[in-house]
Amino acid sequence: MSVTATTAPSFFSCRELNAFYGESYVVQGVSFDIPEGDIVALLGRNGAGKSSTLRTIARANQPALSSGEIWLNGQALHNMKPFEAARSGIQLVCEDRRIIPGVTVEENLILAQIAQPLGWTLEKIYSHFPKLEERRKQEASTLSGGEQQMLALARALARDVKLLLLDEPYEGLAPVIVQEIERMLQEVKKMGITTIIVEQNAVAALKLADHAIIIDTGVIVFTGTAQEVLDNQTLREEYLAI
Amino acid sequence: MDMTLNAFTLSLLTGLQLGSIYVLIALGLTLIFGTLGVVNFAHGALYLIAIYLAVSINNTLGFGLALILVPPLLFVIGVAMERGLIQRFYDRPHTDQILVTFGLAIVLQELLKWIFGANNIPFAIPSWGNGIVMLHDYLPFLEGFVVYPKWRMILVVVAIVTVSAVFALLHLTRFGLVIRAGMRDAEMLQFLGVNINRRFMVVFGLGAMIAGIAGVFGGPVTQVSPEVGMQLLVPSFLIVVIGGMGSLGGAVLAGILIGMAQSFTAPYIYLNTIIIYLITVIILLVRPRGLLGAKGVFE
Ligand SMILES: Nc1ncnc2c1ncn2[C@@H]1O[C@H](COP(=O)(O)OP(=O)(O)O)[C@@H](O)[C@H]1O
Ligand SMILES: [Mg+2]
Repeated sequence: MSVTATTAPSFFSCRELNAFYGESYVVQGVSFDIPEGDIVALLGRNGAGKSSTLRTIARANQPALSSGEIWLNGQALHNMKPFEAARSGIQLVCEDRRIIPGVTVEENLILAQIAQPLGWTLEKIYSHFPKLEERRKQEASTLSGGEQQMLALARALARDVKLLLLDEPYEGLAPVIVQEIERMLQEVKKMGITTIIVEQNAVAALKLADHAIIIDTGVIVFTGTAQEVLDNQTLREEYLAI
Repeated sequence: MDMTLNAFTLSLLTGLQLGSIYVLIALGLTLIFGTLGVVNFAHGALYLIAIYLAVSINNTLGFGLALILVPPLLFVIGVAMERGLIQRFYDRPHTDQILVTFGLAIVLQELLKWIFGANNIPFAIPSWGNGIVMLHDYLPFLEGFVVYPKWRMILVVVAIVTVSAVFALLHLTRFGLVIRAGMRDAEMLQFLGVNINRRFMVVFGLGAMIAGIAGVFGGPVTQVSPEVGMQLLVPSFLIVVIGGMGSLGGAVLAGILIGMAQSFTAPYIYLNTIIIYLITVIILLVRPRGLLGAKGVFE
């Protein structure tokens, strides 16, 4: 298979992604580009294929990518294994946070720094997330939901992240905690990390995002600016129920 | 039960010695299950390969070389087994994995029988390990002439050292941290850039290497004949289950428990043959995940 981008590739670009959970066709011909430093809100109903799209980009084994190309910063990711994609700069913060149980908060961070290239040092992480430093010796699964989300985000920043994939970072968190995570994501935005954010709380995601993509049954049904989605009531009602 | 202190001490030592071999086999089995999620029924065959290699080298080149060569050779054989065959079955159902590893065990057993014959091959214990230990010298409360074979004592010490080394590796090193974390969530480690499958392959090799150590020291005790692999596999597998699938501490605890149970029931022949199954049933009824089985590990 020849893998050459047909046009000058964007910082991140995925083309005609098709991915399957077994027989189930969950990502159907998804294509989009992201300029460096921009934030995309990837929206859609429950079961629309948002997580599947992020997992496909992170090169997870499931859903299996059957065809399509993924480019990040000039590197072809579509033939990579998940750990190779991670080393190329992909960081997926999973929807259930996936904090490693049975080891401490600090060990969760250390695990992000086993393989090069690395991002933030532990000192830098602790200065931005003082709560994590307080609890660094604590078993990670004993953290509260908000703290676990912080740890998941910190763990991604501990790596040299070029494309941050956030899957429902606000899910299941109390409003005050959501605000706290929101402030941290604003900081991430200021740092200029290219990001895709998936969120049920579409308004919150759109506040942060430059662009919006709406996906339905694995197909992209809208691409535009975040403001366009906020302004388009039919779109919001049909696909986002807001 | 009318048991003298002497008889009690001897049963205790025999229990420890039996447990030592079980623990060494079960340790590799539980490590491989905990990391790769594969029940490796060929693990008994790895022990079999180890004792035949050990006896061959020992009886020609001496024990020293057997000790130096067999564990690394088993490491290589383990890695080859993982890469060549077992790796292809990770995404297949457990039943397929059981069939292929069980089949492999039988093939290896028949192959060794074909090469070395079906009879026991005498394993000459090195002179420094020969003879008996006068227990009274160490345990003054014992009365009279109580002795225990020195080699079996050595086997217990080797098991303690090996178990300690594995625990140190897992709990005091970065490699161990990655392995422990990988046992809980291998995919997440990949998302963090860790080539976890390569490390799991090393773990498979380590499990085989422990079977190698067990073979070098256990061969003279378990004898060297083709049935030994299967004979050890069943209790070792049950020990992994009793201890909690994937739990190292559990395997050690359960191994000693089963060793003791077999040793102390030795005078009662009927009880002795069923004791291991009896214990398995009772423990699983009370603790379905086994003694130290963690929630969420391969459920
Ligand atoms: N592990 C899985 N195995 C099989 N099907 C799955 C799996 N995970 C999700 N799906 C299916 O894939 C589709 C897309 O799911 P998902 O990407 O999780 O949606 P979203 O994140 O948008 O809610 C859904 O129909 C869902 O049922
Ligand atoms: Mg989802």
